[in-house]
Amino acid sequence: MIVFSWYRGSNEKWLDAYKDPVASLYTLTQCITLSDVQADGDWKLIIADLGTGTFDMKLKVYKGTNLMSENTIIDLPTGVETFYMDTHEPRTPAIAVASGPYIYVYKNLRPYFKFTLPTLEVNPVEADLWNQVKEEKINIFVLREMLEGMRAEGTVLTVRSLRFLQLQDITDCEAFANLYRFTPLRRQTVITSLATLKKSHADEDAISCLVLGTESKSVYVLDPEAFTVLTTMELPSVPVFLSVTGLFDVEYRIVVACRNGCIYTLKRGTTVTTKNCIELNSQPVGLQRINKTIYVGTMDEALHCYTSKGKKLWTVKLPASMTTMEIIDYKPKGFKAVIVALSNCNVHIYKEKYLVNIIKTDDVVTGLKFGRFGREDGTLIMTLRAMHRTFQRDLYLLRLNTAREYVKSLENRMNPISSDPQEPLKLNATVQGIGPMFKLTVNLQNTSLSNPSTNLLITFQYDDKLYAFKNSFIEVPMLVPGLNYAFETYVECQSDKGISDNVKVYILRQGKSIPIITGIISMPCTDVEPIANVKKKNQDDF
Amino acid sequence: MGLFSKLASLLGIKKKEANVLFVGLDNSGKTTIINKLKPEDAQQHDVVPTVGFTVEKFKNKSLSFTAFDMSGQGRYRNLWEHYFKECHGIVFVIDSTDKLRFAVAKEELSMLLDHNEIKRKRIPILFFANKMDLRDSVSSVKLSSMLKLEDIENKPWHICSSNGLTGEGLSEGTEWLSREMESAIKQQN
Ligand SMILES: Nc1nc2c(ncn2[C@@H]2O[C@H](COP(=O)(O)OP(=O)(O)OP(=O)(O)O)[C@@H](O)[C@H]2O)c(=O)[nH]1
Ligand SMILES: [Mg+2]
Repeated sequence: MIVFSWYRGSNEKWLDAYKDPVASLYTLTQCITLSDVQADGDWKLIIADLGTGTFDMKLKVYKGTNLMSENTIIDLPTGVETFYMDTHEPRTPAIAVASGPYIYVYKNLRPYFKFTLPTLEVNPVEADLWNQVKEEKINIFVLREMLEGMRAEGTVLTVRSLRFLQLQDITDCEAFANLYRFTPLRRQTVITSLATLKKSHADEDAISCLVLGTESKSVYVLDPEAFTVLTTMELPSVPVFLSVTGLFDVEYRIVVACRNGCIYTLKRGTTVTTKNCIELNSQPVGLQRINKTIYVGTMDEALHCYTSKGKKLWTVKLPASMTTMEIIDYKPKGFKAVIVALSNCNVHIYKEKYLVNIIKTDDVVTGLKFGRFGREDGTLIMTLRAMHRTFQRDLYLLRLNTAREYVKSLENRMNPISSDPQEPLKLNATVQGIGPMFKLTVNLQNTSLSNPSTNLLITFQYDDKLYAFKNSFIEVPMLVPGLNYAFETYVECQSDKGISDNVKVYILRQGKSIPIITGIISMPCTDVEPIANVKKKNQDDF
Repeated sequence: MGLFSKLASLLGIKKKEANVLFVGLDNSGKTTIINKLKPEDAQQHDVVPTVGFTVEKFKNKSLSFTAFDMSGQGRYRNLWEHYFKECHGIVFVIDSTDKLRFAVAKEELSMLLDHNEIKRKRIPILFFANKMDLRDSVSSVKLSSMLKLEDIENKPWHICSSNGLTGEGLSEGTEWLSREMESAIKQQN
């Protein structure tokens, strides 16, 4: 669902939201933009819809609330921008969509050009191994062992080698090696983030370069006309958020938030950067700038503000975890603020460090965009997570109320974070199924930057007359920072009365009795009779 | 006879200046409607977005009639209030297909109604639910409830569906407005 609201300047006032009930999509802030793509003064909303994450990925262009154009995207989109690539009249900007190793460029809403990231150097040992396979000097067992050794040493392998190592079956391995041994080995990376940088003029419709961050820890600046790489800059970690200002030909700043929790500033002339780095305590979830000031949201439920030199100005503790952030720059009233979406379905607006407004939404906001839309300045666009669509697809054969119950059960998830700075953990649990058997998934994430979490346990507290747990005690392996770990158990509802209860999840440290985090899961009602009864009925029918 | 001259003759007041203010969001059709109200030979072929505002004068024997065609673009909306003091009637045009911005239109309307120069005056307001010819247009009844017109106090108001391109619905509206203005001006005298 998309929700629209308007900033009206006076008293930090926002107008009633317009909800578009038909728009069903799933997207992120980086994949939303507003632009006058048809040069008719009616600004369109451009969204890369992530679909389910594996299929149904589309570039969608909305005129008002009407979907006016749709293009399928092959791979998961990671960024959408519009930019002027020429000086032709009428001044229609092109749309760039980052997806996998490609930038797809659309002009006049039609596919126009595909840019592919330059391939990277393949490790010579890895290349030699595949060469020997080709010449039948080594067999797949040797290949496998050697590649495994390289991976263990931390060598960055090609996708082909990684896929090969994933295969379990000998015949599969053989078939795979045979299929690929004659095609040249390439190492390709993917784009993680996309931005634009004006080339030599600052005018609103001046030609812009595309700036891309990649999984191979680089930032590229592309020429807008020839699509050649103008500059490559290396980073110590993978860039995830970019904030670009200035002119490529004169002077520019690219502020980059990286997966290692550091923020780097790249300037004209930089090739390798470690200087002027801001070290965060936790992973970044959003990066924005107002003038020179840097605003960054982190996974430990905080919003920080830094000067361009990297000096911290303040930190605000947020009441829930941040899903995304955006900047409000409302020129008619000179109003600038940071807008932050939270997992508790609230959207907070901060002027400097002061909370000036809260907008409540029906669900968690995953994408935010503020700007001119249609003919109206100051439009705020909020996209809400649209989980039910995927689930309805899976369940469309089941009765509607069952599906509803299922969606409700998913809604009943919670998202607590440990308040103990020594145990930076995030807990999230979901219930799936229509009953009486439910699958309960506990997701744990270590939100620290470098300290692994060890010796943890998951236990549950529940009414044992109502529920039977397959596994009510789970030992947690070491949690590497930043990764999400899922632990599953099955829960069977013992009652056929259609009643349900809360189940508590505790995360404990071995040897300590006070939980680090407690979560409450409200279990859905069983919509189906217990299996035993159904079986009996079926027998009666025959 | 153009509709405006008809309107002026309906007013039937001697040597009176009647000022009518046309407001509403940009692209709602204000200029198109005013153009259609002119005598046929004076009508423009192309209507372009208004910059700032334009003034159209209509005259007949007894009356000079002035229409202020305000631009509805965000950056010009603050001009509207400068003409509130002198106006005898307001025409508020709404693009009945622009559902997205009904909330914005409603806000602009409530700011107008709340304005010091308008608040206590018994100025008639005519609403055109314009672009009725388009498929996804909302009916005047629905629009009226969405804009909460029933909450308007101490002012006569009227809403009718219109088509600025063909002129459909315009005479119903302007006839109502001229009657209201006439009685208001008479009361003043
Ligand atoms: N289909 C249809 N189009 C209309 C109608 N009325 C106006 N239009 C079109 O709507 C567009 C905007 O009309 P304008 O008269 O310029 O709108 P405006 O309210 O004066 O706009 P601003 O001057 O920017 O405030 C033009 O393309 C008109 O042709 C109508 O009744 N039906
Ligand atoms: Mg106009």
